[in-house]
Amino acid sequence: MKHLVLVSLFAGAMALPAMADYTIIAPANPGGGWDQTARTMQTVLQEEGISPSVQVQNVPGAGGTIGLAQFASQNKGNPDALIVGGYVMVGAILTNNSPVSLKDVTPIARLTGEYEAIVVPAASPIQDMAGLIEKLKADPGAVSWAGGSAGGTDHIAVGLIAKAAGVDPTKINYIAYSGGGEALAAILGNQVTAGISSLGEFEAQIQAGTLRLLAVSSPERLEGVDAPTLKEAGLDVAVENWRMVAAAPGLSDEQKAKVTADIEKMAKSENWQKQLADKGWMDTWLAGPEFEAQLDKDIESTAAILKDIGLVK
Amino acid sequence: MSVQRHEPPRRRDTAALIVAAGLAVIGGVMLWDSARLADLGGYSGVGPASVPRVVAWGLIGLAAWTAVEGLRGDFPERPAQNPAPVLWIVAGLAVQLMLLHTAGFSIATGILFAFTARAFGKRNLAMTIPIGIVFAFVVWTIFSQLLMLHLPAGPLEQLFFPGG
Amino acid sequence: MGALDFLLQGLATAADPMLLLYALIGVTLGTAVGVLPGIGPALTVALLLPVTYRLDPAGSLIMFAGIYYGGMYGGSTTSILLNTPGESASIITALEGNKMARKGRGGPALATAAIGSFIAGLVATLLLAFLAPTIVKLALVFGPREYFALMVLAFVTVSAAFGDSALRGLTSLFLGLALACVGIDQLTGQARLSFGVPELLDGIEVTTMAVAMFALGEALFIAGQRVQVDDEVTAVKGSVWMNRQDWARSWKPWLRGTVIGFPIGAMPAGGAEIGTFLSYATEKKLTKYPEEFGNGAIEGVAGPEAANNASAAGTLVPLLTLGLPTSATAAIMLAGFQQFGLQPGPLLFATNPTLVWGLIASLLIANAMLLVLNLPLIGLWVRLLTIPKPWLYAGILLFATLGTIGANPSTFELGMLLGFGVLGYVMRLFGYPIAPIVVGLILGPMAEQQLRRALSISQGDWGYLLHSPIAATLLGLAALALIVPLILRARGKGQVLAQLAGDED
Repeated sequence: MKHLVLVSLFAGAMALPAMADYTIIAPANPGGGWDQTARTMQTVLQEEGISPSVQVQNVPGAGGTIGLAQFASQNKGNPDALIVGGYVMVGAILTNNSPVSLKDVTPIARLTGEYEAIVVPAASPIQDMAGLIEKLKADPGAVSWAGGSAGGTDHIAVGLIAKAAGVDPTKINYIAYSGGGEALAAILGNQVTAGISSLGEFEAQIQAGTLRLLAVSSPERLEGVDAPTLKEAGLDVAVENWRMVAAAPGLSDEQKAKVTADIEKMAKSENWQKQLADKGWMDTWLAGPEFEAQLDKDIESTAAILKDIGLVK
Repeated sequence: MSVQRHEPPRRRDTAALIVAAGLAVIGGVMLWDSARLADLGGYSGVGPASVPRVVAWGLIGLAAWTAVEGLRGDFPERPAQNPAPVLWIVAGLAVQLMLLHTAGFSIATGILFAFTARAFGKRNLAMTIPIGIVFAFVVWTIFSQLLMLHLPAGPLEQLFFPGG
Repeated sequence: MGALDFLLQGLATAADPMLLLYALIGVTLGTAVGVLPGIGPALTVALLLPVTYRLDPAGSLIMFAGIYYGGMYGGSTTSILLNTPGESASIITALEGNKMARKGRGGPALATAAIGSFIAGLVATLLLAFLAPTIVKLALVFGPREYFALMVLAFVTVSAAFGDSALRGLTSLFLGLALACVGIDQLTGQARLSFGVPELLDGIEVTTMAVAMFALGEALFIAGQRVQVDDEVTAVKGSVWMNRQDWARSWKPWLRGTVIGFPIGAMPAGGAEIGTFLSYATEKKLTKYPEEFGNGAIEGVAGPEAANNASAAGTLVPLLTLGLPTSATAAIMLAGFQQFGLQPGPLLFATNPTLVWGLIASLLIANAMLLVLNLPLIGLWVRLLTIPKPWLYAGILLFATLGTIGANPSTFELGMLLGFGVLGYVMRLFGYPIAPIVVGLILGPMAEQQLRRALSISQGDWGYLLHSPIAATLLGLAALALIVPLILRARGKGQVLAQLAGDED
């Protein structure tokens, strides 16, 4: 028996060399999008020989703000430390009054992203976005929306849709679920009027015909997706749930360039592209000043809509 | 099994009264906290403050009940306790907590190990601390190096696994 | 090709000796990591998943299945022997299992857990294979109001089963409910009872609390006892194996546990621990030996352990048929499936039968491996109890803190561990039962959220809660469970009931 344990541990040892180079903080519990992004980065960075060994550390809590705060305070000037984050963090920083924000770390690049999809159960009488908006205008309370956690991307998107349709965003009947999965079950079970989540969560159901896709939140039509954008449906809304990687605060320009080069090498590798395709993630690579400008814009618009929904005073 | 006591000693139980006071305080804090929450009940009519309020009043009711039982001396007798061993374990946990991020997992946990052993009668810390540290280090090596579980490293770990 | 042919083909492929070795390695690794208090199946699978990346698809799939079942099963061993449940689903196992272990019946307790897990895993995996599409349709009928009714039923049945004092049982439960309020309110994003402390925003981690309350509280309590009772822990009394009576008392709970656990696991918001609670309450109602409940009744181990493993297979129903990950473990598994090119969803069984049946065959083999690995080990495991107390408890505390540190290496989390450990000690001192506080922490948020969701959908109409036949039936059952004992008590049968209720600590 002992022998077997040794064999198995040895198998583990060969798969995972001891030297750590990068340490990636996933500011969430195992299983979520950030954790998966971090672990995919770990795999690709190691397999592509960019880093001999990568460790992933989960620091869960409060929409990533706990991990972010810990990361910013403990790693000042450490070029080997990385943190995964995303659009949800932008909202969480605002709703939780987090003392540490994305300004306190060094954003490196946007890696992947997902667009939001608005769906109804196949049995629903609502046929298109116009039908849904009509119902929303008539009685906002009668339209229940199932989506992810309060103040998250899904909630923000519903707020933006209501606002664009001329409905008071505080009047939306948004029902928060802990994850896309639970929300999907509620939609499939005909418990709610409509559902909103990232397109990937719904894709298989849409193909199987159990959900009807009304619109997507991308700025332009998506290839292979048979649905209008919100803009085409007459609502001036575009939302992307992006995920990014950031480095520690206080890096020199050379250090920052080195990290960016490593991450770019990873993101441009075939291996990474294959992983994205497997997981149904989009490559939305954006780095440097363009990324920083985009980030500023997102922070500003998010703060405004959270105020409108009433989540931020 | 439930103990049948036909003649309960009708004596005031101070400890039970302290428990009752503690429960009432928790209930009070919950009421105070829920008073400051914005009423975002929305369409449900049950807002974020509703459930804490119900629980708080429940606790206050239970506090009153506990106080009555305490005054009537209905609380069960408590087994006699030695405080020293309990304090050794608590101290061990506190030391581990304080040393974990500076001294690393093995040293901090080795001390917890030794203090716990002392609480259960192995008094020779000069022997148990080294044993604890070696044992904790073996555990650290298996979990952090082979299974990639992130455990805090200190000087000892860095000595054997530089860069880990 | 019919479903059965696919399954047989999958089993034939998996019978390759090399693949069997991978299954064994997976089960061993999963058990070894899952056995640690504080490291639940989600973290186990996340940690070990990369190990499987190195193998060919067949090997990787089978090793992965082994890790999953091993991780799910691992927690029961330490719960039974050391009273340190590693995740919420093994809390109930610790209640009776540890009492058995202390009387020298650790062997039969571990055996009934292992065999029960195997049988539940076997039956549930077969149900998954042949009935998944039907079951998922039933599971989707459950909306917020049905879940709320289910939670109410779980509350009533479980809290009726705790302790001889209504006051202390309720106090413990309400403390749990109060702790459950801590953190960001999921439906509105507002912070409750967190006093500006960011670490409290996500609420209190159930595993931290369970490990502290059970493992630490227990260690403190035993250390503090003035008279050290020497005969309290006996490693082995009688046979290590189950005797005829053990078998006779176990087989029905295994099957009932499976029947309860599987559908609840399949429900998108069910959760493994609800199944264990309901199974425990059921066994307590149906047993011929009610006086043993609270003192080490084998049914109380057999049923909940079977329910736990059956719900592990149940979780795969929405995952495979809808692509719905309903737990953290399932979400990690989804990532695992994707590496095999398996896209879970409604069309999976039609478009990718070879891989699905390969997975199901792997699960069956991993399940059998788990039994092969664990039955012979029982003799070894129970020897743990012969370790002298100083070393045993020093080791328990080492591993209990290792689990917490590994899951979240923050000083704050360790501080909570210490605080709850002391609370667990004080509660034991005053004769408060421990289980209700943990149950309150687990069920409280679920019940609150589902109630508020239901009322949100109905725009504040409470009648909506009763307008579904399922919800009405469940609430009716809960009312019966609450009222019948009261009537019995009023008729002067209170003493019988007090016997039935037993005490837990």
